[in-house]
Amino acid sequence: MGPLLVAHFVLAAVAPLLVFWWGRNAFLVLAALPAGTALWALWQAPQVVAGPSPTWTVEWAPAYHLVLALRMDVLSLVMTVVVTGFGALVLVYCARYFTSAEPGLVRFAGVMVAFAGSMLGLVLADDLVILFVFWELTSVFSYLLIGHDAERRTSRRAATTAFTVTTLGGLTMLVGVVIIGETAGDYRISHLVSDPPAGAAVTVAVALLLVGALSKSALLPFSLWLPAAMAAPTPVSAYLHAAAMVQAGVYLVARLAPAFSDLLLWQLLTVGVGTATMVLAGWKALRQNDLKLLLAYGTVSQLGFLIATLGRGTDAAAFAGLALLLAHALFKAPLFLVTGIVDHGTGTRDLRHLSGLWRAMPATFGVALVATASMAGLPPLAGFVAKEAVFEAFLHPARAGSWPDTLVLAAMVLGSAFTVGYSARFLWGAFADKRDLPGLAPATTHGPGPLFLAPALLLAVLCLFGGPFAEWLSPALAGYATTPGLTAAQSELHLDLVNGVGVAMVASAVALAGGLLLFRFRARVARLGAQCALLDADAVYRRVLRTVDTLALQVTGATQRGSLPLYLGVVLLTLLAVTGIPLARVLSDVPAVEPRWWDSPIQVAPALIVALAALGTLIVRQRLFAVVLAGVTGYGTAVLFVFQGAPDLGLTQFLVETVSLVVFVLVLRCLPGRFSTPVLRSRRRWNLLLGVAMGALLATLSIVALAGRQHPPVSDAFGAAAQQAGGSNIVSIVLVDLRAWDTMGEISVLAVAATGVASLLFLLRRVPNAARHAPGPSVPIPDPAGDPQQHQQRWRSPPLAWARATAGVRARATEQAWLPGALAIPEERRSVVLEVLARMLFHTILLLSVYLLLTGHTSVGGGFAGGIVAGLALTVRYLAGGRFELYAASRLQPGSLIGWGLTIATGSALAAILTGHEVLTSTVVDLTLPVLGHVHGSTSLVFDLGVYLLVLGLLLDILRSLGARIDEQSEHAGRPQEVRP
Amino acid sequence: MVELTGHLVPLPVVLPLLAAGLRLALGRRWPRLQRVLSVTTLSVVLLVSVLLLVAADTHGPLVVQVGGWAAPVGISLVADRLSALLLVVSVAITLAVLVYSIGQGMVDGEEVAPLAIYHPTYLILVAGVATAFLAGDLFNVYVGFEVLLTASYVLLTLGGTGSRLRAGATYVVVSLVSSMVFLVAVATIYAATGTVNLAQLAERLAELPPQLQLVLHTLLLTGFAIKAAVFPLSAWLPDSYPTAPAPVTAVFAGLLTKVGVYTMIRTQTLLFPGGSLDTLLLVVALATMLVGILGAVAQTDIKRLLSFTLVSHIGYLVFGLAVGSVHGLSAAIFYAVHHITVQTSLFLVAGLIERRGGTTSMRSLGGLATLSPVLGILFFVPAMNLAGIPPLSGFLGKLGLVQAGVAAGGPLAYTLVAGSVVTSLLTLYAMARLWGYAFWRSPSLAVAATPGTVLESPGEPALTSAYGPEETVGPASRRTVTGGATTLGGQAIVTTARLPRTMTGATIALVAFGLALTVLAGPLTAYCERTASELLESGDEHPTLAPGGDG
Amino acid sequence: MTVLATGAATTPTLALVGVIGVLGAVGTTLLLERSLTRILLGVVVLSNAINLLILAAGGPAGRPPMLETQTTAPMNDPLPQAMVLTAIVITLGVTAFLLAMAYRSWQLEGNDEVRDDAEDRRILRAAEHGDLRAQIRAERERLARAEDDDLRGTS
Repeated sequence: MGPLLVAHFVLAAVAPLLVFWWGRNAFLVLAALPAGTALWALWQAPQVVAGPSPTWTVEWAPAYHLVLALRMDVLSLVMTVVVTGFGALVLVYCARYFTSAEPGLVRFAGVMVAFAGSMLGLVLADDLVILFVFWELTSVFSYLLIGHDAERRTSRRAATTAFTVTTLGGLTMLVGVVIIGETAGDYRISHLVSDPPAGAAVTVAVALLLVGALSKSALLPFSLWLPAAMAAPTPVSAYLHAAAMVQAGVYLVARLAPAFSDLLLWQLLTVGVGTATMVLAGWKALRQNDLKLLLAYGTVSQLGFLIATLGRGTDAAAFAGLALLLAHALFKAPLFLVTGIVDHGTGTRDLRHLSGLWRAMPATFGVALVATASMAGLPPLAGFVAKEAVFEAFLHPARAGSWPDTLVLAAMVLGSAFTVGYSARFLWGAFADKRDLPGLAPATTHGPGPLFLAPALLLAVLCLFGGPFAEWLSPALAGYATTPGLTAAQSELHLDLVNGVGVAMVASAVALAGGLLLFRFRARVARLGAQCALLDADAVYRRVLRTVDTLALQVTGATQRGSLPLYLGVVLLTLLAVTGIPLARVLSDVPAVEPRWWDSPIQVAPALIVALAALGTLIVRQRLFAVVLAGVTGYGTAVLFVFQGAPDLGLTQFLVETVSLVVFVLVLRCLPGRFSTPVLRSRRRWNLLLGVAMGALLATLSIVALAGRQHPPVSDAFGAAAQQAGGSNIVSIVLVDLRAWDTMGEISVLAVAATGVASLLFLLRRVPNAARHAPGPSVPIPDPAGDPQQHQQRWRSPPLAWARATAGVRARATEQAWLPGALAIPEERRSVVLEVLARMLFHTILLLSVYLLLTGHTSVGGGFAGGIVAGLALTVRYLAGGRFELYAASRLQPGSLIGWGLTIATGSALAAILTGHEVLTSTVVDLTLPVLGHVHGSTSLVFDLGVYLLVLGLLLDILRSLGARIDEQSEHAGRPQEVRP
Repeated sequence: MVELTGHLVPLPVVLPLLAAGLRLALGRRWPRLQRVLSVTTLSVVLLVSVLLLVAADTHGPLVVQVGGWAAPVGISLVADRLSALLLVVSVAITLAVLVYSIGQGMVDGEEVAPLAIYHPTYLILVAGVATAFLAGDLFNVYVGFEVLLTASYVLLTLGGTGSRLRAGATYVVVSLVSSMVFLVAVATIYAATGTVNLAQLAERLAELPPQLQLVLHTLLLTGFAIKAAVFPLSAWLPDSYPTAPAPVTAVFAGLLTKVGVYTMIRTQTLLFPGGSLDTLLLVVALATMLVGILGAVAQTDIKRLLSFTLVSHIGYLVFGLAVGSVHGLSAAIFYAVHHITVQTSLFLVAGLIERRGGTTSMRSLGGLATLSPVLGILFFVPAMNLAGIPPLSGFLGKLGLVQAGVAAGGPLAYTLVAGSVVTSLLTLYAMARLWGYAFWRSPSLAVAATPGTVLESPGEPALTSAYGPEETVGPASRRTVTGGATTLGGQAIVTTARLPRTMTGATIALVAFGLALTVLAGPLTAYCERTASELLESGDEHPTLAPGGDG
Repeated sequence: MTVLATGAATTPTLALVGVIGVLGAVGTTLLLERSLTRILLGVVVLSNAINLLILAAGGPAGRPPMLETQTTAPMNDPLPQAMVLTAIVITLGVTAFLLAMAYRSWQLEGNDEVRDDAEDRRILRAAEHGDLRAQIRAERERLARAEDDDLRGTS
């Protein structure tokens, strides 16, 4: 059976193509597969009845107990025949119901076949999880099928409603499935049925499962989605809502009844709810005017009937229930099909507009007549036999004279009366002559073609012979009814047309009479029903959705304020809360050590300065002043580093602080001089409070953590390692050798940051006409739009060629010039002293940087420090001589500098691997350089060189972007920059 | 074989960095060659990671002592089952997204800045992620985070439109704070133990007084929880992600939060086993799921909606982690793999929707299923996958989680089971609503459905060259940005009737990958079980430690 | 317990602790403001605090970690120094980038303040007028139903 199942989904995949080629007739081809499956199932029947049931299993995900297990016992067999047989018929019907021009027909075909496949899987599955898988798949496909006419709001809504309601049930069911599976340690249905788990948890789980079943079979209180789903095309209603999907819940109940029907909760949820649904829905069906809606409520009522019967758990009930299931499918499907034909023929389904159709389409009428009679349970039709059997089952319960059974039976008789009532209403409404209505003119109505009617006709015939020949089915049905676990009530199980005039017969008679009365006074009944209508389930559903939406809005509104300070506040508060509490406890048991104020008194001065400067930044409102104060804290920190015994840190911090000070000034020169008005005082107080708390947290941590130290640090081994690495400055050895991997990451951060700065400052937008704008005053600008070369030059712009050219031109004009590039800036903003200094210092500083690079291994310094120093050399040039001087000073592009730096560093890392060492392995070398004489270093110098280049590139990039670039922009804004650092 | 693969361990970091370096060095010469360079690099890295995965699964964790310095003196890289798996998935995703963005870049003709820096930055992002996954050293994890975060800052503000800057500010500052918290944690942990080597930490942390352990534990978790976007530290995410270019958002959604989750897993299993904070984590997991998904229900913009589902489903991962059982952890890992894939594909689809409809606002879209059936399928499958519709991987992951929760028992666990079910129902509701708005309805409702329209302008005037007078210093424009569909460079997207082939191809590949997770569920779940037991059972003997490395 | 053994020796000096505290407090406070410049200053100050914290984690002051020096005085722990170096550099990169952002946002918006997220604000308003929304929705449904009816009429 596995292959057949797979075949369905394969066919579903190709179905769109077929429809695309052959139009609606492709459905006839598609019908072949389900039909074949049905025949195959029938051919299997003898073996299945004889047992053992054939199975088919494939391991899927054992870790999650997922086994693709299929098993075909009698119940599955019956369901398979129903599902596939009706599937085939409906597909044939589709071939005439639709026109080839129907929009979305291609999609429809595929989904329909896929649905049939998942339905087949559902009834064959022998693993609860697998069953759930197909269960949900049917929901998804029904969603797409109901929403077929996606442009109409009603069908969209109906689809979503059906989807959400059934999935709500489904997910509830999933929890039940898992609970049962985990308690039993096994998800195989056949095993669970043979020895069901027990316990409180299981009882809850069963209840959850039943919620799923009820929602799928549209029982109360979930019945709202089924009538709504009538917005779907009629074939869909006929298949999903009569024969297939809604039967899934019934099937599940039938499947699990042997295992759990002895639970009281089970009885309440199946028999109780089922009977109630049968009565209420039947009552509601009595006042419908839309034929499809009438059938829909009828279906809900019948589903209640089915679940009540199959849930009872006696063999007789099971036997009768299965018969009823067959009968129901046999009469309900053709009625839907007929409705479709009527709708198709007349363009309406409203029985207030239909009249005299029995003359217009006699064949259809005949079919409808038989099917309705079977629905009403008139002898000798299938419906009658099944109903009799059910009555019998409840007449002779397991324990004689148990009042609940009698009560249920009474309710069922009432329900059947309603059934008779709405059956009559259907037949009358669709076909009868109505006095107040003129018979619809034959012109507007056209009878169905033979193929259109054939499926309904076939089913009607089955209804007809289903009664007399029901006995043939008895052994098969008995095969299910004798499943161990069902309580035996009746000695012999058989379906026969006439089993004497018994109480059951009387009951049927009563039902029939009552039904006819109800029909006789249909108008009054309808009015009465409308008056005492229960609350509208759909409205309730809508209200629930609205509540969810409002809740969502309120929760989101409360949590998602979109304000950065608020988010930060939340983060910090959380941190303080979760860390502060244990921290407080730690403090209590930290041994009281007498505090050391300082390691050396010289620490105090910088400490005080830093603290004061920091506090200052809080108060001042001038941007630059605040920046300078922040800088002071930085420099102070550098000093503290040195006193702590970290000269390298001191140096680096000093350099970095300088650079960032420059950068700050470069950017802030064009921002407003003062900070905008401070936030509310309350806010500030709150911020300050948080700040103090954080400060306290950090301070405490710094004390507490060290107090917990129990082991010597790993760095004790660094000295030896440094020796081995051939260097004396442990820190830089750590940076370029021991932990060079960190440094590699660190420089890639720099590279990225540089590209980021550039990307924000050199933005390119292609706006054609903008090319014609007048270029800025100072230098001739090449047309930026148009030719790609220019674009490509852009973010390292402006191209050096003309930068130097202009500089050159001006330079010829006035001879003696320390910095030629400086001539490009207005006389009054130049300072000769600065230029001279820059000229003097430039190469010296560059040399120094190289020195730092080379000696980093042995003494303070290293590639990073070197790079920054070199960058500072350029900075000086730029500050003195303006941006053209910068262009003149460095022909190199920041981009390529950074790129090569990164390439060299990572390349050296890779080289080690290629030479068979671990990544970044270095070897000691001694070499003599022209300038510095003998240098004792290692190959990690190459890595360091990469760092050097990259850092230089970063600084150049910063000068280009935040310096020169902003100059250009401000010049073109015709606004000379005020501050010149 | 093992030695060879051992040498491969650093490559996922080194190769992308090298490629990035070359790309920067070459500047803008031979753009075609450079595209090839990026793609081949990532493909090679993908191959390498797959090798690592196989090796780690067969021969146990691979350890490399960088520079030949035995840990704890040097840094050690570790590729165990967990890191290898996440590495493979991440690289696969990034490769797909790279192809996609190349396609987009070529469509928009943005082979110039800022796309010029897009590729190097992107590669460095990948390197950062790899660093974080492979690090066997706490401080190195920090460095890895910094690399990927800085790269993400640049990518998020690509094109420098107003909305991206605003979002960028939120994102950057919050991330900075998270990094600082992390750094404080590193400092404190070093102070208390005298080492940063993960394996050695596992030993030494255990010896600390429990309260102090708790302090360090909470510090670390807070830092990571911000990155993983766990409620209440998640609010920054939906504000920042959606404004970025579609491929960028896609890769962020897929990877960044998961790196946070990865480090949380390490913290809980390696550094602080014993689940001292599991209860707290369970609670926040519940909150994350529910608050996140309610946020999604409230949204009307597809990208924002997806960002909220992203947050919400992080809750599942934390749930699985905090249940503390092998099954729970393995389910969480499986779910992580699934979620990386599906969330990325959904954002890519959102990008395609922008392409087709000119916007991602549900209300202004409509009838897409009719206009472009391919788009319909491309959205529907991952959407159902996200909603956990069986038999898709989302369902499998959730099944595992629910099983673990039920097995754990207890009121809290059951509450989380219920919560996760409700969450997936609401996810389905949100997805169905999105589908109903954007893909159903009649196309006539959709303003933007006709090709060639630009629905919402990205805001400030297009700045022409570096010199155009529009780009003056000072307030060029006060217009606020409406978050319209924007290209990588931040220009308004012009809609097209035919979707660009490269972009569609990449998306299809990713969706197919998502389906493959279902087909290969058997081996994958088994692998995850092995991973989880490796993490939990043999937790404290993490293999980074070289012989005699104990201090 | 063993905390006593080494704990007393290595707790950092109050001078250092005090600076860490003050810098931390000031940095956080600045971080919580709206002006990107001030936030950035906050980042700088705060990272100084954290760098000192890392250094303090290395224990008391000592002589520079150089091999050639003859003194046998205790050496300051080099590992935290290396970490701080890395941290400093990273901070530099991020600072530059944030400055570029501040400049750019000033260029676009005329200030460097971080605005609130517009979409979130919209939802907040929507939440505040929940009942109003309900009415609107009901109205919309009514219209839609009308639309459907005439659709059905045409179909």
